[in-house]
Amino acid sequence: MRRISAIVVGALRMWFRSKHTLFWTLAFPVLLMLLFGAIFSVSESALLDLHVQNQDVIGGVPTFWSKAFCDMLNKTEILNIHMVDSGENATQFIEEKGVQRMLIIASGFNSSVSAGDNVSIILKMVPVEVDTASATVSNVIDQIVEIFNTVVTRQSPPEVVSIKHENIVSETFKYIDFFAPGIIGMTLMTSGVFGAVAWNTRNKELGILKKLATTPLSKLEWIIGVVLYELVMGAISTIVIIMVGVVVFDLKVVPNIFSVVLIISGAIAFPGMGMVIARFVKESDSADAAANAITFPMMFLSGSFFPLEFMPDFLRQIANVLPLTYLNNGLRDSMVYGNVSSALFNTSVILGVGIFFIILGSLITSWREE
Amino acid sequence: MQKEIAIEVNSLVKKYGDLAAVDDISFTVHKGEVFAFVGPNGAGKTTTVEILVCLRNPTSGDARILGFDINERKGQQEIRKRVGVLPQDFNTFDLLTVKENLSYYKKMFDDGMDVDELIELVDLKDKTNALYKKLSGGLKKRLAIATALVNDPEVVFLDEPTTGLDPRARRDMWNLIQGLKEKGKTIFLTTHYMDEAEVLADTVAIINYGKIIAMESPNKLISKHGGKTVLIVEEGGKAVYDSLSRRLSDVRLENDGDVLATIKKKTDLPDAILALNKNKAEFAELTVRRPTLEDVFLNLTGKKIVEGELH
Repeated sequence: MRRISAIVVGALRMWFRSKHTLFWTLAFPVLLMLLFGAIFSVSESALLDLHVQNQDVIGGVPTFWSKAFCDMLNKTEILNIHMVDSGENATQFIEEKGVQRMLIIASGFNSSVSAGDNVSIILKMVPVEVDTASATVSNVIDQIVEIFNTVVTRQSPPEVVSIKHENIVSETFKYIDFFAPGIIGMTLMTSGVFGAVAWNTRNKELGILKKLATTPLSKLEWIIGVVLYELVMGAISTIVIIMVGVVVFDLKVVPNIFSVVLIISGAIAFPGMGMVIARFVKESDSADAAANAITFPMMFLSGSFFPLEFMPDFLRQIANVLPLTYLNNGLRDSMVYGNVSSALFNTSVILGVGIFFIILGSLITSWREE
Repeated sequence: MQKEIAIEVNSLVKKYGDLAAVDDISFTVHKGEVFAFVGPNGAGKTTTVEILVCLRNPTSGDARILGFDINERKGQQEIRKRVGVLPQDFNTFDLLTVKENLSYYKKMFDDGMDVDELIELVDLKDKTNALYKKLSGGLKKRLAIATALVNDPEVVFLDEPTTGLDPRARRDMWNLIQGLKEKGKTIFLTTHYMDEAEVLADTVAIINYGKIIAMESPNKLISKHGGKTVLIVEEGGKAVYDSLSRRLSDVRLENDGDVLATIKKKTDLPDAILALNKNKAEFAELTVRRPTLEDVFLNLTGKKIVEGELH
């Protein structure tokens, strides 16, 4: 214990004194978040999703005027209309699917319009402060209603159809909420693997490993010390990512107890993996190359930036054996969807992987040279 | 009285393929002794040290450090507790201070020297809170030696402790090593500097191509293999040559006018001086050159060591 704490405290001291390591530990996650946040929040607004539920259905067939209204919505070329079955409970549907905008045409729409009576359609949206796209959608619907009214009454005013606005107040998630856990997972992986590999090869080159091998320090103690140090580094990166997410991108999700356990497990597993890699490399250059070869594919194949569903089948098979996949899935399940049982499964996978690598590392690491 | 044995090596061999880096060496180091392993780079010095401090397995042969077997797991654990090691080309953590570096290594052991006392011992008190990277080469080496003393070891292995140091820093290091000897430490030293071994060592083992080719106290080595003392009369010329030739059997006149007379028996030197005085000989300088370990190495191998390499 005394030996392990000496390793961790010493490493932290050096980290704190090395100005550029200190800077990059903090700046790297900030840059990542800003970069990916900017890229993905723009691409999202190309086509605006709108869920539409037409409840004015008789015998399974939409009524004349309600269908006419839906057809107009479809022709805007701004809105991407998703029809929702009239049998669904709208409130429940929004909550489950994380729907951001939904238009509901109540039953009786057709008869009211035919009779020239006033009728409301309900537009449920997340507030403009949460998603600026809501304002655009609102404008588009306003115009469609205006045209519709003109068509129906052949003069304006009076209005037949009016819009009743409702806020979607349940927790809603934006893309940032999806990718923030991905960035956390990716950072834990890269900083863990690279950190452990670099720390090991550097100390090998300085002769410090050789020196330590002549003391009673055991390999396991050394590996645990390095992994614990990298755990602190991972925790710092995670905190920075969440802070940037909250301040700049209005990130809604905050880690709960499961995601904290997951983050700790991930921050142990990847340095453990790094220690195993470090066993097989001699110089710093080849160490970087080896760490790159392992982290780079994993970064893209484990769903850090986009959901695994977007990938072809054979890549998904590969993703299934990558530890980062489980960290990403687990973090999303616990932070975004609040799915505890899935988070539990992913946590145990990651923790198992971590313990496996640490034990493997201490078995294959040889301080004795041939 | 028979001194206690600190290091005992029997028929140690380390082979890499067909090449024997250490080729059947045996020796004994007594407690409190400074034992120097002298030889050019690649002679097998570091390999031997690394086998003795349990960093490498020997191909065959055995060794005991303070009675503990290097080939046994239990023995290795005991050896690690009791020896201090300065590996070759060792550099410690750049961004830790002198004191922090020493505390770091000290914590790897169950007990040892007080760190402040140790800093005083290696004369780094002014630099206690200086970062390692800010130290000069000589001071870095002093800290490195201190890291080998944190556990207050009975046996200290110093693998080329002065390589790369300037002459002044080397002398400092010699004083430090002599100080350790006075404290009763057994010191196993490797070096390719002959003068260093001559000054520091009680016993010198000359190693070349993995084999020990001579092993004794520096004085005995020199008297056995170093050749004779030579009297040099600089710019003595023909007159001096003639007068010395009459009394001494082996006198040479060099092209530059220097006269070299080999001293073969006790009376040769006084005789020669008397002759020079009597004849009122004219010369620039009179020097007596005693053979050194360098001559021993040259006579034994036919080669010189320059910058660690054979020439």
